[in-house]
Formats: sequence, structure tokens, C-alpha cells
Amino acid sequence: MIELARASIRRRTVTFAATFLSLLLGTTLIGSFATLAETSFGEMSSADTDTLRIIGMIVGGWGALIVLFSVASTLTVSVGQRAEEIGLLRVVGATPGQVRRLIHLETAAVAVVAAGFGAALAGPGGRGLFHLLRRGGMVDDAVPFGGTALALAATVLVVVLTALLAAAITARRATSGSPLLAVHDERSAARRMRWWRIAIGLALVGYGLIMAVITITVTGRSDNPYAAMATSGSSSILVGIGLATLSPAVLHHGTRLLRPIVPRGAAGWLAVHHNTRRPHLLGGVLAPVIVLTSAAVGTLMLVGIDHRTVGQSLPQAAKINLINNLIAAMICLFAAVMVLNAYAAVGAGRRPELDRLRLLGATPILLQAVVAQEAMLTAVVGTTTGLLASLSTTIPFSVARHEGLVPDGQLWLPPLVMIGAAGLTLAAALRTTRHRRTAQGAG
Amino acid sequence: MTSTDTLALEIRQVSVAFGGARTRVAALTEVDLTLRTGTFTAVMGPSGSGKSTLLNCAAGLQRPTSGQVLVEGQDITGWDERRLARLRSQRLGFVFQSFHLIPYLTAAQNVGLPRRLAGRAVDDAKVAQLLDAVGLGDRGGQLPSTLSGGQQQRIAIARALVNDPAVVLADEPTGALDSRTAHDILALLRRCVDDLGRTVVMVTHDPRTAAFADSVVFLVDGRVAGQMHQPSPEAVAGQLAHLDELTVAGAA
Repeated sequence: MIELARASIRRRTVTFAATFLSLLLGTTLIGSFATLAETSFGEMSSADTDTLRIIGMIVGGWGALIVLFSVASTLTVSVGQRAEEIGLLRVVGATPGQVRRLIHLETAAVAVVAAGFGAALAGPGGRGLFHLLRRGGMVDDAVPFGGTALALAATVLVVVLTALLAAAITARRATSGSPLLAVHDERSAARRMRWWRIAIGLALVGYGLIMAVITITVTGRSDNPYAAMATSGSSSILVGIGLATLSPAVLHHGTRLLRPIVPRGAAGWLAVHHNTRRPHLLGGVLAPVIVLTSAAVGTLMLVGIDHRTVGQSLPQAAKINLINNLIAAMICLFAAVMVLNAYAAVGAGRRPELDRLRLLGATPILLQAVVAQEAMLTAVVGTTTGLLASLSTTIPFSVARHEGLVPDGQLWLPPLVMIGAAGLTLAAALRTTRHRRTAQGAG
Repeated sequence: MTSTDTLALEIRQVSVAFGGARTRVAALTEVDLTLRTGTFTAVMGPSGSGKSTLLNCAAGLQRPTSGQVLVEGQDITGWDERRLARLRSQRLGFVFQSFHLIPYLTAAQNVGLPRRLAGRAVDDAKVAQLLDAVGLGDRGGQLPSTLSGGQQQRIAIARALVNDPAVVLADEPTGALDSRTAHDILALLRRCVDDLGRTVVMVTHDPRTAAFADSVVFLVDGRVAGQMHQPSPEAVAGQLAHLDELTVAGAA
């Protein structure tokens, strides 16, 4: 089994590189902030303890959530892509348990190595972050950096366990059902979303809506100006993740809505059918686009509104805004890596199908147009959905701070973020087609 | 279209070699093959005899090292990728062992696909008529994953015919089907030739499959090792058993 896992990793460099990268980056981020949290246990004023602990815990906690999400999505795509191979293994006699162990082993190997390297980077990363905070005057100059291997080891443990959890979910799905079905072009079968996935998605969206109502009716009227931020600040991220969880359904319906404006011709026609009838594939790309847009727009607008209304007059504003910006930056970075990752995985899996089209007479330019239009549709659906999700933070907070339904400033921000996210998606898509060679044989 | 004196496909002295100067492997050596319009030809030979390479040359997927490939009298050997793609979508039809349907398109959409790829309008009436002809007139709206193997291959045959191709290239079209379904598919290909006047060339290694053709061309080690007209399964099987002698005779 170990031999098989090793061979499998060697043969799938691109997909494993994608998983490796998200785990490495995740460990570096979480580890850096974990050393801050650890430092807070040293001798210092209670204000400094609070600052370090809040920054370390909040950002670290968000980081863990994002890593889980991104690793799960990368693994889903890479394991889904291997449906045929997994079916074949089962046909020649591998039990579902063996196949699951294979996937767990592969993931564990990649996760341990990636987390190890990530921890090595997180040590200096945490130190650098701490010095930044001290130079910025948020922590007293006398406080020493107290991050040790303990925080890093805990981070490695969390990341590896998170990756294994994601692998367990994916492996279970890959081994349910008949092996014959899996060999028989499983990818073509319309895959339905599991009930728990729908439940999680709806719960997160519901949470955002309820918090919006609470922000406007309760916390917005509180004497503490940050009560409204506490109830609405994370809504855009959570609603974004909720909608991202439902990404296949979002892509299916979103593409149908966009159909009238898709350019006529074979490329657009194929792109629309691909996105509506096989939405789980590019759903893996859509999910990070939604989260990227909603988190960036929601959080940055929140910071902007706060700055215009009460921010300048309160001492803790700088700290709070720093945390918000850190969260937004981290999520954006991660989502961007995930878009690239997901496309690398999708691109490798689609090669046989694109070769098929070539065989039937599609020119290389037409194939490139198909991929580009699929990406554009995904980007438009994703950024629009993300923008809608960001409203769950923007509108309640704007109302609570008396700017009305539409904030007074920064209205250039949403289009800018949308264009950036769409550009990233398109670039990632075209990168996968650039290295395509001529179709191999008819047989 | 059905007159027998026009040539649908001509392969003239085609050789294909793979690898560099020192590791050179000849897949085809000076192969000649002429297909008249309205004929059904089987290409037979053991594994590695160059059957698939020959088909790939005819499809413009493999450039011959030397020699010429002519489709309807036009030499395609020097064509660029764009022109070859146009040729495939407009003048050639393909039937593969593994069907190669596009999974997210319905049966009817798969049939119309070559016309779309060629940038032409899809004639719905023609698609419906082809689906009827392959016996699946009522399945046009279904996705490939909901159809049986035999049904998927029928869809693929309808797709191969949608552009009134000069030649239909079939690579082991019944290789993934049970014998009864295989018989039906071969009878369908036979009808494409007899009733619709199409030209079919089919690669196979099964004598019973080859017996559906008008003539059989035998390939051994990349060379044509014989030809048989009006083949019967027994005669083809007998010939296959003595291919080695044929090669010796051909080389002499």
C-alpha cells in the first residue's frame, strides 16, 4: 500500500503540488500567528496580552478554517479526477478500506512534509510579525518574542489532522457505490450534493441573514460602537463560505441566467453546457472566487465605514482595523492560491475530454475559447455571488453606522475586486491550456 | 455520390517512423491503400501492426514521415492544424472503441457537435433523421451516461454521419460491446454503406467483424501483407493464421 501511495504521488505531481502548496502556506500563516498567541503568555501588561492573544487567536482560528476549506476542495477535485483509477483498483480487488487507506496515506505524507516546511517558515514569520507590531506601537517595546517550537508543533498537528479530516470525507465519497460504475466514465454522471453539504451551506447563509437583522435592530443601537461590528463583521466571510459550499448549484443556475449574454458560436455553446451539466468540476474554482470576492469586499468596506464614522476618534480603532485587514488579506491570498490550485487540478482531469473534441475537429483556438469562456462564466457567477454575499456585512453595518443602505464611500472597491478576481480566474484557466500538445492518436 | 469510380481516400506510399536517428522504429512502411466511394474496408493485423497509426494518418492526426494522404483527391499531408481540424469536422466521421461522446451533451447535441465545431448551423431535422436511422429517435434528449454501450455507439455513428463525410474512420467500433450488440452495430455500419452510400474503413482484429466488410486489408509489421475480397469469417481467420508466410511472400 505504501509502495502504491508513493508511486501515485510521483505520477501526480501537479495535483500533489497544489495540495502541498495550500498546506505549506496554511501552516506558515497559522504557525506565525500561533507564536504570537504563545508570546502573550509571557510577562507583559494586560493590554499587550489582549492584543497578542486576539490577533493570534482570531487570525489563527480563521486561518485553520480556511486551510480546512481549501485542502478539502483541492482534495475533492484531485480524488474526483481519479474516479476511474480508483474504480480500477477496486475492480482488481482493492477493498474500499484499502482505497481509503491509500488516500489517507498519500494525504498524510504530503501533509507532514508540507506542514514541516511550513513550521520552519513560521518561526521567522512569527518573529517578523511580532517586530512589526512592536514597531507599530501596538505592543510595548520591552516585551520579548516568546514563540517556541511548542506553538509550531501544535500548528503542525492541527494542519495534519485537518488535512486528514478532509481526506477522510473525500475518500469515503470516492469509495461508496459500485466499483463498476466508477470505471464506467463516472465523471459524466451528474453527481448530487450530499445533504450535509446543503445543510452546512444553508446554515451559514442563514447565520449571515439573522446577524444582519440583529445588527440593524439590536447591536446597531448599542452604546458600544463596536457591537455592530461584532455581529456583522464576519457575515460576509461566512455567507461567502456558505454559498461556496453550494458552488455546483450556484454555478448551474448562475450559468443558466447568463446564457443569453454568452457569445454565439460553438465555444460559448460548449462552455454553457459544460458549466450547467457538469457544475461540480468548475464548482471547485467557483468556490474560492466567491469567498475571495465576498471576504475582500465585505471586510474592506467594513473597515472603510468604521474609519469614516467613529474610527478616527477611538484609540482601539487602529488595532481593530489592523486585525480586519489582516483577515481580509489572508483570505484573499488563500483564495487566490486556491483558484490557481483548483484550475491546475481541473485542467489535468479535462485533458481526455478536450482531446476528444480535437479528434472531432475542434481547432486549438476553439478549444482555448471554450476554456476561456467557461472561466469567464465561472468568474462572473463567482464575483456576482461574492458581491451579494458581501452585502450581508456591508448593508447592516452601513445602516448601523447611519450611512444608509449604500455606504458613503469606497464604491470603487467592489468593481475593482471583481475585476481582479475575474482576471485571476481567466489567467489560471489559460495557463492550463498553454502547454497543451497535439492530440494523441485515435485509439 | 455513390458512383464507384471516385476515390474517397488514397494512401500513397505512406511511411511513419517514431524515435530519433538511432532508436528509429518503423510503424508503417510504404503502405498503399485506395478506398473507392461507397465501399466498406476492414484493416486487420496483430497488435502493433500499425493499424491505428494508419487510421491516425488518414485522420490527419499523425503526419507521415514520407508519402501522401489524399482525402477526396486533396493531398492533406502539408496542411496545418487549423485546416486539418476543419477536415476532421467537415469531411471525416469518427467511431471509436470507447465511443468518445461528450458527457455533458445530450445524444442529439453530440450528433450535431461536428457541425457546430465546423461553425455551421445544426440542422435539427437531419439530427432527428440520423437518430431515427440508428434506432434511437426517442433518446435524443438523454445524456450519454444514461444510455447503454450499444446505444452510445449508435449515437457515435450518427455523429460520424452528420456532415455527410467522405470517409468514416472506425477504430475497433465493437471492441467494447457484447457479440449481439456488436452484430447490430456492424449491420448498422453495413447499412451506412449500402443504403446511404457512405465510405467506411474499420480497424479490427476480429475475423467475424472483418467479414462484414467488402474487402479486408492485412497489415503485418507496418506493411500491407495481403488483401481479400468478399471475406468470410473462416477465410479471414485462415489468412490470419498464416500471416507470417504472407509477409515473407510480400517481402520476396
